[in-house]
Amino acid sequence: MENLKIEATQYTPEIDFNSQSSVLSIVGKSYPENTFEYYKPIVNWIEEYLKTINDELLRVNLDLEYLNSSSLKAYFDLFDLLEIAHDEGKNIQIKWIYDEENDISEETGEDFIADFKSLDIELVIKG
Amino acid sequence: MNISKIRNVMADEGIVFSFSGMISQSLTSFMVETAKLQLEEQGEDGKLIRNMFLIAIEQLQNIMSYSKDKDVQNGSNFTSPGVMVIGVDKEKNKYYINSSNQIIASDKNKVSEKIDHINSLEKDELRKYLREKLRSAEDKHDRGAGVGFIEMAKRSSEKLEYDFEEVDNKLYFHIKTYI
Repeated sequence: MENLKIEATQYTPEIDFNSQSSVLSIVGKSYPENTFEYYKPIVNWIEEYLKTINDELLRVNLDLEYLNSSSLKAYFDLFDLLEIAHDEGKNIQIKWIYDEENDISEETGEDFIADFKSLDIELVIKG
Repeated sequence: MNISKIRNVMADEGIVFSFSGMISQSLTSFMVETAKLQLEEQGEDGKLIRNMFLIAIEQLQNIMSYSKDKDVQNGSNFTSPGVMVIGVDKEKNKYYINSSNQIIASDKNKVSEKIDHINSLEKDELRKYLREKLRSAEDKHDRGAGVGFIEMAKRSSEKLEYDFEEVDNKLYFHIKTYI
């Protein structure tokens, strides 16, 4: 599949997928008003990508400084999608990256780990 | 109109940031980023600033989504009239975010019930409640997960304060959140 690249705006993150390295990285703030509409094409793209892979590793790096409540839901739904793919045998590694001082982001990562027990989610403090 | 009256009210109420008018997404972003910079320049604690930022976003996006007289532009972008202030309560020595907008009268009970329930929960229960709501998606709609008040309560150091006011047959909703 082709690479995916969406530039950041003041309230949406940079989204980058490199099909060579199979790394999806999302970095920045996320507080759009029409969140689900905004994320729909990205979620669709990930769904399509998951269909094309077998046992190769997909790495997902999420570094989200601020999430509004609708973005929380959008990422909850993304984790749902990844969990289904994982249960179907896809190989997925997720890194939840946060600033050491940002305990809100740390807590969000902990909640995702608690809610998606079968997924491989690692909390990573930003270096 | 005497502008110094407004300045005096703002000084008395400890208001450091205020807006009244049509609220849109680009304005929301501009306001929260500006308020964040302002608090950073004052040397405020990073955690306080993050809580302020997130609460202000939820309040402003609530106004945009639920205001009675919202305008829809380009299919999915809303603008709605509202008022928001950020200030320092001198007695409590705490920042607060206070906003107001006109709501649909039939939403009144639903909003009260929702906030009363949230206010009955402790912090750890709120964390659990939010996760339940995200999973069940029972309050989800086109533009949000219906969990904005839970998020505000999680970020706040006190219970959510709210009331309704009827003026000329219009119903206004006010919410105040202390950080």
